[in-house]
Amino acid sequence: MFDLNADDELGLVVDTARKLAEEVLVPQLRDAESARAVAPGLLDAWDEVGLAGLELPQSLDGAELGCVARVLVNEELAAGDAGAAIALDPYGPALTTLLEVGGVDAAGELVRVLGHGRKRAVLVVDEDAEIELAGDLLTIDAPWVMADEVGAVVVLAGDEALLVTEGWLLEPVRGAGMRAAGAARLIAKEAPIAARWSSRDGASRARARARLYYASLLLGVMRAACDFSTSYAQEREAFGKKIGHHQALAFLITDMQMALDGARLVVQEAAWRVDRGLPCAGEAASAWAECIEVSRLVGPNGVQILGGHGFMADYPVEKHMRESRALGLLCGGFDAAIEEAGHVLVRSDTPLALGVEGAL
Amino acid sequence: MIEFAIDESARRKIEATRELGEKEFRPAGLEADRNGAPIPVGHAFFDRCIERGEGRTRWRGLNPSPGDASKPQSLVTTALQAEELAYWDRGVINSTPGPGLPEGNVLAMGTDEQKEKYLGPFLEPDRPRWACFAMTEPSAGSDAAAIKTTARKDGEGWILNGAKCFIGGASRADWILVQATLDASKGREAQRAFFVEQGTEGLGGFKIERKMGLKAYESTSFTLDDVRVPAENLLGGEARYERKAGFKAALQTFNAGRPIIGANAVGMARAALDEAIRFARDHDLLKRDRVRDRIETMARKVRKSRFICLRAVWLADQQRTNIVEASMAKAMAAQIAQEATALGLELVGSVGGRGDHLIEKLYRDVKAMDIVEGTGQIQRMIIARKLVGLPR
Ligand SMILES: Cc1cc2nc3c(=O)[nH]c(=O)nc-3n(C[C@H](O)[C@H](O)[C@H](O)COP(=O)(O)OP(=O)(O)OC[C@H]3O[C@@H](n4cnc5c(N)ncnc54)[C@H](O)[C@@H]3O)c2cc1C
Repeated sequence: MFDLNADDELGLVVDTARKLAEEVLVPQLRDAESARAVAPGLLDAWDEVGLAGLELPQSLDGAELGCVARVLVNEELAAGDAGAAIALDPYGPALTTLLEVGGVDAAGELVRVLGHGRKRAVLVVDEDAEIELAGDLLTIDAPWVMADEVGAVVVLAGDEALLVTEGWLLEPVRGAGMRAAGAARLIAKEAPIAARWSSRDGASRARARARLYYASLLLGVMRAACDFSTSYAQEREAFGKKIGHHQALAFLITDMQMALDGARLVVQEAAWRVDRGLPCAGEAASAWAECIEVSRLVGPNGVQILGGHGFMADYPVEKHMRESRALGLLCGGFDAAIEEAGHVLVRSDTPLALGVEGAL
Repeated sequence: MIEFAIDESARRKIEATRELGEKEFRPAGLEADRNGAPIPVGHAFFDRCIERGEGRTRWRGLNPSPGDASKPQSLVTTALQAEELAYWDRGVINSTPGPGLPEGNVLAMGTDEQKEKYLGPFLEPDRPRWACFAMTEPSAGSDAAAIKTTARKDGEGWILNGAKCFIGGASRADWILVQATLDASKGREAQRAFFVEQGTEGLGGFKIERKMGLKAYESTSFTLDDVRVPAENLLGGEARYERKAGFKAALQTFNAGRPIIGANAVGMARAALDEAIRFARDHDLLKRDRVRDRIETMARKVRKSRFICLRAVWLADQQRTNIVEASMAKAMAAQIAQEATALGLELVGSVGGRGDHLIEKLYRDVKAMDIVEGTGQIQRMIIARKLVGLPR
């Protein structure tokens, strides 16, 4: 069993992310939301510390960190502002999709296409869009991508990863959340597919990593909701005592925190499996489902604890509630996740037996 | 972040635990459940425990002699074993001979003489021996500060009066560590623990309760009627109490066990899940979406509670405080295990109504996990004290 302390590289990365979230993202939260962008300069600063290419191989000048690093960093950033977390990542899960399905060369293609511009890549998973493939032409209607400008589109369809570099149209939409990253409907009619790769195992791992990417953002949002409402409950008074000292609220807060801790552990374990090359599709899907389920408890109750105040934009909990719900719709959402996890599970007679592959 | 790998030595231990559980614990548990009575004292199961070298004290083992490289095993490994053993039968775990629940208290607070006298016989037991800890009373369980059993100074010794209930193994124990109060109006500060040896005059009225589950071990009520014990039977000796309160140590016993009870619950939930999958496969139910979804939900929750339990013991292994995490482990795992067994019963349908299905037994057994060593509500209070400063 190991620990994260500031000595190791990962510990430093996580600390950096936490600092940025606390000192910059939280104070600018509403500004970024209305500007639909993070403050200028933030991207450069983030790039400078080398965290923009977290999973990018070293041969492509990246930090070449794994999935555990990703989920830890995402949670920290999203605990500040999930939209900003997305805005700060030029590649998003599009990168890991290409890495898993097409390898380093495919990732190199993406880097080349994005160049040094400020446009990000977006990943569209087949479960989230209507997709038609005819030869090397892609027709797609994705109701919601988290960007106002897009530099490359990666589509995960079945066992294939498709790289599309031109030919789409973005229709701006309001966005239920994560507005700091932007929000648009992405449409393309017979756009040329610039490159495509196929791998059954790779696609399955890519899906797992995409789910864990969003799951860790969701963890961050939920953590923010829990933390904020918990401290509020220790200040606000009603009927002569702190509202958090009424057992109904004390237990609610306890259950929220407990649910969050559990969700975090399953996400981290699934990420750990990804990095070890262990089977991870079922675990990642299951972790994603767990996060979504927990978000249904944490999101609305974060608001509930603040009562009418929670309903107002003066406090961040309404944002947490919207964003936790919206994030949970990605990668096919809850139903697709339990469908996949369920299929993986029932293949085994004793799915939770201890000691399998030396993992839990 | 905790590491999720199981090392080779832990894996071997789990494997051995699995074999033992399957061969010994499951049959013994099913037999006791059918009989509706605890495994009797003279049962060959207990002799085999002693033959295998079980039922011994940790005393002295914790202080290996110089040159002995063996370290006490990690709590993580202990929790994994607790999970595996409860998978096969939780009730049987509590039935096994040994110094059991009070051992921790004696190790933490006992004088050298008390360790020698009360744990000594457990170093290399000649026969199955038991000991037990008696806190709960008919009128006070969760509110342990409100117990009414009194200890009155009488010359050099003490006189105990009161009633205890639900005490594991009380009628077969060599000695019972009895929690009593010097002054019921003073709450926990005034509480002390006393060794009461079996056969002491005034100790009696043993009644083995009829339980819904966990039938393999006895939960017993008894009375203390002018029970006279010598001064040296006060746990820790008198001098200790001039410095410290007695209640803290009693709480420590509860504390140490929480994630382990949680791990037990995880094991029981796993057993229910495996049975449910087997049933569903045999009856060609796995192609139904709803069935798979239910199994997935169960498995997901069980894995989550496993990690929550392991985190708590892992923190303890790192010598870090785990008060919140330990309570979470017990609160979460017990509740989820209850749900898992209930879901399992729904999967097997009316077969579960017959009363002879393993999941049906697990459903009854597992309820106690949310009651013993602090109910789910009490765990939430402990967590809430830390999270929102809930007043006592
Ligand atoms: C199988 C079994 C074995 C046991 N073995 C032992 C043993 O070996 N030794 C021993 O000393 N005891 C033992 N016990 C007793 C056990 O520790 C108690 O049953 C437990 O502590 C609960 O106490 P109680 O039964 O008096 O319930 P009560 O304390 O009366 O609680 C009743 C209900 O009220 C709730 N409640 C109480 N206070 C609060 C509060 N402040 N806020 C919210 N809810 C509250 C409880 O959670 C519970 O739901 C055993 C019990 C069982 C079932």
